[in-house]
Amino acid sequence: MTSLVEQPLVTRARNADLLEVRQLVVEYGFGARAARAVDGVDFAIREGEVLGLAGESGCGKTTIANTVMQILRPPARIAGGSILFEGNDLVGKSTEELRRYRWRNVSMVLQSAMNALNPVMRVGDQFVDAVRAHEKIDRRQALARAGELLELVGIDARRVSSYPHQLSGGMRQRVVIAMALALEPELIILDEPTTALDVVVQREILQQVEALKRDFGFAVLFITHDLSLLLEFADRIAIMYAGEIVETAPAERLGANPQHPYTQGLLKSFPPLRGPLTPLTGIPGSPPDLRDPPTGCRFHPRCPHCIPEQAELYRRQTTDRPRLRAVEAGHEVACHLVAEAVE
Amino acid sequence: MTTAAPLEVRSLTKHFPLGNAVRRAHVHAVDDVSFELRPGTITALVGESGSGKSTVARLLAHLSEPSAGEVLFEGSDVSHVRRRRDVLRYRSQVQIIFQDPFGSLNPVKTVRHHVERPLRIHHVVPSRQVEERVHELLRTVGLVPPEDIAAKYPHELSGGQRQRVAIARALAVEPKVVLADEPISMLDVSIRIGILNLMSKLKEERGIAFLYVTHDLASARYVADDILVMYAGQIVERGPIEDVLAAPLHPYTRLLLEAVPDPTTKTEGQQIELRKGDSSAAVDPGEGCRFRMRCPLAIEICAHTTPQLVEERPEHAARCHVTAPAN
Amino acid sequence: MSQLEPTLGPALDLSLEVPPRRVHRRFRIPGWLTLLLSNPKSRLGFAMVAFVTIVALIAPWISVAHPLDFNVLATRQAPSWNHLFGTTDQGSDVFSQVVIGARRSLLLGVAAATLATVVAATLGITAALVGGLVDDIINFLINVCLVIPPIPLLVVMSGYTQDHGMTTMIVVLALVLWAFEARILRAQALSLKSRDFVDAARASGEPTWRIVFGELVPNMISRIAAAFVLVFYVALLVDAGLEFLGLGDVSTTSWGVTLYWAQTNSTVLQGEWWPFFFPGAALAFTVLGLVLLLAGIDEFSNPRLRAEKKPRRGRLRMLFGGRLAVREESA
Repeated sequence: MTSLVEQPLVTRARNADLLEVRQLVVEYGFGARAARAVDGVDFAIREGEVLGLAGESGCGKTTIANTVMQILRPPARIAGGSILFEGNDLVGKSTEELRRYRWRNVSMVLQSAMNALNPVMRVGDQFVDAVRAHEKIDRRQALARAGELLELVGIDARRVSSYPHQLSGGMRQRVVIAMALALEPELIILDEPTTALDVVVQREILQQVEALKRDFGFAVLFITHDLSLLLEFADRIAIMYAGEIVETAPAERLGANPQHPYTQGLLKSFPPLRGPLTPLTGIPGSPPDLRDPPTGCRFHPRCPHCIPEQAELYRRQTTDRPRLRAVEAGHEVACHLVAEAVE
Repeated sequence: MTTAAPLEVRSLTKHFPLGNAVRRAHVHAVDDVSFELRPGTITALVGESGSGKSTVARLLAHLSEPSAGEVLFEGSDVSHVRRRRDVLRYRSQVQIIFQDPFGSLNPVKTVRHHVERPLRIHHVVPSRQVEERVHELLRTVGLVPPEDIAAKYPHELSGGQRQRVAIARALAVEPKVVLADEPISMLDVSIRIGILNLMSKLKEERGIAFLYVTHDLASARYVADDILVMYAGQIVERGPIEDVLAAPLHPYTRLLLEAVPDPTTKTEGQQIELRKGDSSAAVDPGEGCRFRMRCPLAIEICAHTTPQLVEERPEHAARCHVTAPAN
Repeated sequence: MSQLEPTLGPALDLSLEVPPRRVHRRFRIPGWLTLLLSNPKSRLGFAMVAFVTIVALIAPWISVAHPLDFNVLATRQAPSWNHLFGTTDQGSDVFSQVVIGARRSLLLGVAAATLATVVAATLGITAALVGGLVDDIINFLINVCLVIPPIPLLVVMSGYTQDHGMTTMIVVLALVLWAFEARILRAQALSLKSRDFVDAARASGEPTWRIVFGELVPNMISRIAAAFVLVFYVALLVDAGLEFLGLGDVSTTSWGVTLYWAQTNSTVLQGEWWPFFFPGAALAFTVLGLVLLLAGIDEFSNPRLRAEKKPRRGRLRMLFGGRLAVREESA
């Protein structure tokens, strides 16, 4: 592999959380109509770990991705909290420092990135552009690196001279993943990497990412609405709802013993491919408008366990926001019902 | 009530030209597809993007004309009718629901407009009863209170609600057949089940024949009775869904089953063969099995003879020289 | 056993409120008019255009002299109480020219714009919807009309018709100006045509004409209105060019004509800004009014803009950045 020339912003430290997000608050808009897309979120990713972030539309997961990557645009802005990458807070860094951080320490595959490839440029040239924006190497070297990376993701290196429309959707997505790997970052953010692709291509790509992860040792923040994917590919999973994290657990634990009613509802929304078929109900209602979220627990209007008859619990569910609390090692839930059971 | 199939498709074919006058090729989007839709059943049409399944739905919805083959509605071929009266009669019996819940509604018109128009065009009820019927339809699909919902614009509704409006619009003409083209793939996960349950309810209560086009095997299993698996424009397997999923014959069906992430089973994820190229199996395919490039079972005959659909078990047919050989 | 997804009660109702219920009066104000008047921008635009129209209507009563009267004793006079807008080099009263000229300008502009826009929309949408040979023919027509230089065409047409009246002018202007907009509207119709809701309308059994006028055009109104304003503006300027060719009607005046004469007489070079400024300002004022009206039309074709009313204070906040907002949150 051709080697890097410029130094990344942050060099590897040992035995630390790679990324730690503390009490992050991201707002859109101003004044009375401001919406908190992310409202007090904490999570951490260790080296080489795959953290899955699951939630439905409007829960804030893409905002988190953009925030970690520091590519938020007005009217979105960080209104509180910190993002620590190997101990260094990214909030408040200068543009130049962030440039060295992006793509070298952290890179990202955006939603529908395969459609974001420039249709009038060859694939190889787009690689060269991306790499040379963050590193001073000459064109020939950059093209060589592009060829190597394409081979890594299972595409013939001669495809550097293809145009995006000459590749299938799955191949384009792999190209974008290869671009994300170009500078060997420590963390890769995948935002809905396989949503527009069919099941077979999806599996091929994720297998590929796993193999690359074994070889390169990067960590992955895997964002998707498809919880079933995470149960298979992630090490730990965090469930987001209306701008908050409501449950975090290792993947098998979450699948076997989900605690939060929303997680339980989500898991019951996947009809089984094998085994007995029973009628399912999904989750009634819709995610809330973040400009005016429900008071107390944001899930309470849709929660089957929130009933006025249980007056004391009901009062808490409608006025106090639940905090993430550990129910066992590594398994945290933000739910009044669960908190009560623990006590 | 007649048990004859309201809609039958025979050797349906649709080719699209590619390229220009100098180098012309054809995409065989749909090739020799035959099946029937029976009342009170949901038939799943499963395949990856580019398999031709959406094209089949559009052909059946008379939004596109086939290159060859017949679409038989109550016995007569409707694929090339042009006269407005005939087309209208067909449309009053066969309706379609699209994938994009926002794109399928006109953003400058209210919900009421969308549900009302079919009622008026086909004179389903006299003018003075239209408003009441609109409310009834909205109630049927679970949108209450109907008076409030009817006055809203599409952007004021959630994805699930918009899709319900699309269903109400399709139901307005009291169709015998509803073609659902990936109706839930753009909806949030927790909302999908609601729409599937609604489809089941309508199938049971009204005896509608559904064609459920999807790439998601799990949802197909949840809601459908029969399954048709498509690959590169052809049907490669068909049969009752439980039979096909329990004992798939065609290698592509097996590949699909392995590829679906299944949270309910605790087995290690299956590894599947990686492809180096892309699937252009549908462009000027020629003779031979279209799946042979990706098939672990391919033998010599697969390269030069197109396999036929052979019923290997009762009602369960596959198109494969190896697993369902012709005799 | 299937279960319905329980529906939303009022407590769970989402996002934006229902559009305001229409008040039923004795006579029904059409919905689009209410919409136009409810938006402050388009209210202003409406007022501006109405003002200009009224001035044009009462022009014969408010102008002090015939616009083409010349008075060698009063040439090149700056604005004064006698001549509100000053006089030209020939001694004609500029105020009268502007006010009477409004009639011809408005008539010319509106008629040419309407004709050009109707032709552009009709041909553009037809080409997009029907496709094939019809599309090719219309494209060919568009290309031809775009390539032909307008002034020589005008000369030829006027020579041919031997008539320098308004009708010829309007037809000629429309002929010259429709092609540009037709291309744009065709592109928009093409992209709309592939949207699912058009297919859904077909699948419901909607006849083609209803699809065009009921589904496509309402989504294209913004662009069609913009085409109208553009043609209006260009028509008025081309009017000046026609004067130069002697194709204008000598017995009337218009803004374009006044502007033309102001330019050729190099009035600005001599420090005489008024024959140039006032007709120009009148034209700009009218076009501005039309553009503001467009804002209201935008709301019609994009209902998302209707219910959202930004709080006025919020706008100021946006200018001063995020810190203010954060401070308010913690207060």
